[in-house]
Amino acid sequence: MFAAPAAPTRPRTLVVASAFGTGSVLLYFGGLFALYFSIRADAMAWGTAWFPEGAIQLVPGGMNMATMALSAITMGWAVSAVLNDDRVHAYLALALTAVLGIAMVNQTAFYFADIGLPIDASEAATLLFVIVGSHLVMVAVGVVWLGLLLLRALGGQDTSRHRDLVSAAALYWYAVVAVYSVIWIGIYIAK
Amino acid sequence: MTTTDETGSTGSTVLEEAVTSTDPTVLAKVWGFGGMTSVLLGAVAGLLVGFERLDLTSADLLGSADEVFQFWSAHRVALVLLGVLPALMTLATTVVPRQCGANTLVFPRAAALACWTWLVGAVLTVVGFLADGGLGTPGTGGQRQATALTLMGLLLAIAGLLLATVCVVTTIVSGRSTGTGLRDLPFTSWTTLVSATIWGSMLPVLAANIVLAYVDLQGRPAVRFGAEDAIWEQLSWMFTHPAVYVLALPVLGITLDVFSATTGITQANRDVLLVATAAFGFLSFGAYAQSFFDTPGTPVMEEALYVVMAFAIVPVALAILGGVADTLRRGASNLGTRPPAEVVCALLSVLLIVAGTAVGALRVIAPLDLLGTSVTGAQFTLVVGGAVLGVGAGFQHWGDDLVGGPGARPGLNLLGGLAVAGGVVLVGATDLISGLLGQSDFTGVDLATAGYPGSGVDGLNLVSMVGSLALVGGLVAWQASGILHLTAAKKAGSA
Repeated sequence: MFAAPAAPTRPRTLVVASAFGTGSVLLYFGGLFALYFSIRADAMAWGTAWFPEGAIQLVPGGMNMATMALSAITMGWAVSAVLNDDRVHAYLALALTAVLGIAMVNQTAFYFADIGLPIDASEAATLLFVIVGSHLVMVAVGVVWLGLLLLRALGGQDTSRHRDLVSAAALYWYAVVAVYSVIWIGIYIAK
Repeated sequence: MTTTDETGSTGSTVLEEAVTSTDPTVLAKVWGFGGMTSVLLGAVAGLLVGFERLDLTSADLLGSADEVFQFWSAHRVALVLLGVLPALMTLATTVVPRQCGANTLVFPRAAALACWTWLVGAVLTVVGFLADGGLGTPGTGGQRQATALTLMGLLLAIAGLLLATVCVVTTIVSGRSTGTGLRDLPFTSWTTLVSATIWGSMLPVLAANIVLAYVDLQGRPAVRFGAEDAIWEQLSWMFTHPAVYVLALPVLGITLDVFSATTGITQANRDVLLVATAAFGFLSFGAYAQSFFDTPGTPVMEEALYVVMAFAIVPVALAILGGVADTLRRGASNLGTRPPAEVVCALLSVLLIVAGTAVGALRVIAPLDLLGTSVTGAQFTLVVGGAVLGVGAGFQHWGDDLVGGPGARPGLNLLGGLAVAGGVVLVGATDLISGLLGQSDFTGVDLATAGYPGSGVDGLNLVSMVGSLALVGGLVAWQASGILHLTAAKKAGSA
């Protein structure tokens, strides 16, 4: 008696598409970061001030980083809950991740309204607004995606047999957090 | 997820059916005709600039140096982002899934969204150029809002191309038939996979440049990125070495498949060709070569990486040409006395691309000081012209599948192909010689901007203009051939 050979497996379609799309988004930010750090290094080499003294505060950036880090954990919790067909935990984890994303957008919007740094103050300010603004769009897309996942979960469609969309969203969300960690270190800490 | 929606519902108009269709053949027609129309528009813009270059002392036809610049940049943008890339997407959305054993693209609705997003973006871009916008002007004489419209149009076009790329890559990676490994893929699919990976990594960087320029341009004096005399320079890396080679890569795959199918000969050393085409793709990654952001020290175009890539791609291109030549040598007897039009076009396309890589290597030799000269334009013309010819060869080879029936005009296709090839050779060769004589890449409308060329350059510019005319003529012939083919296929279908 011989067992039938296992059917060859193909990479999961949604996860592959998400990986490629997320990779493209990361390269978009890679391009912006490369310009930011290159121009900043040039300014520093000439002894020019990059941001005005006190314009970039560590606390709001740190709070946002903590929020994002927490959201990475809750996203992992959501994937784990879906894998284990634990619907209640999946609802909680997906909703919590989305709420943390909204909180991050709210904190950033408040901080930038309060910062007193016009977008056309300098090259640094323009780059700052473009990078942070692009990241806010990235977070907003992630929150909408999580909202759709939550609706699917409420309809009983996010299960261990149909987990691809959750895995794809998780991949994207981890990229959201990774991009913010570069913003936090490169802009808020290094200033 | 991989099934297409039903079309032809009762009461819907042709336009409604076209816009809501997820049928790959419908989308292929939009990509194909849209792309080739843009190629034609780009060639016409090049022809007008060619007329203007006949007299380098003043603006006779277009009014001012800024308008000449707008047409000059429109020529490159239309050929690359609105022309060749979408035309390649025609084959990527129809031929590639079949080669992989998938019945259609995965995510057909996303593919439809991508197609229409690109088309809207392309129209906005063209309107932006025509409304005195474009990608900025050296004399800041353009309309700021029209420039913003052009940038927004380009962003939409890039978004559409990226979304289509995601669909194509996912189809190849996870939608191909069971038991088909990546090594087993036909060359068109393989080179599309490699190219799509590079498109997916370069187009987002270009989008980042455009967003930065757009934000800085809006509503107040620009800080730096949105200054009208600086926008083109930030985006120009997409239209020169090494990024421009990525347009040629799928064409090399198309050529290998066309030769294999028409001669009935399988390529020897298939693995070598797979590696060579992949290497060609990775040597075409050019998002780092942004000379606008040069910092003190060695300019990026004189750095080792840039120079080495320019030289390394030449032997790679020659290796691929060797594979093509070997297939031709072993299978020439099967082609008969009158080889098909697609074989002629494909062969000429590879020769032009190889010539383009050689000119690219010549351009980076520091003592010759050719980086700002029309040698850059010669390299662009040869590579992109080769890509256009290769796309045309692909359209001819898979034409019946693309338009949905028989009715090809091989004679007209061959005539158009020879005119395109002749035009590209004339423009490329004369730009190369003019560049060696010191003519600038963008000549402007005065002798200082043109690089104080001698009288010999004036004669060469006349020959170049004749080449542009031949190019436009060839493209018109191809468009006519495509429309006749489509009409014949429709008649055959209704009969």
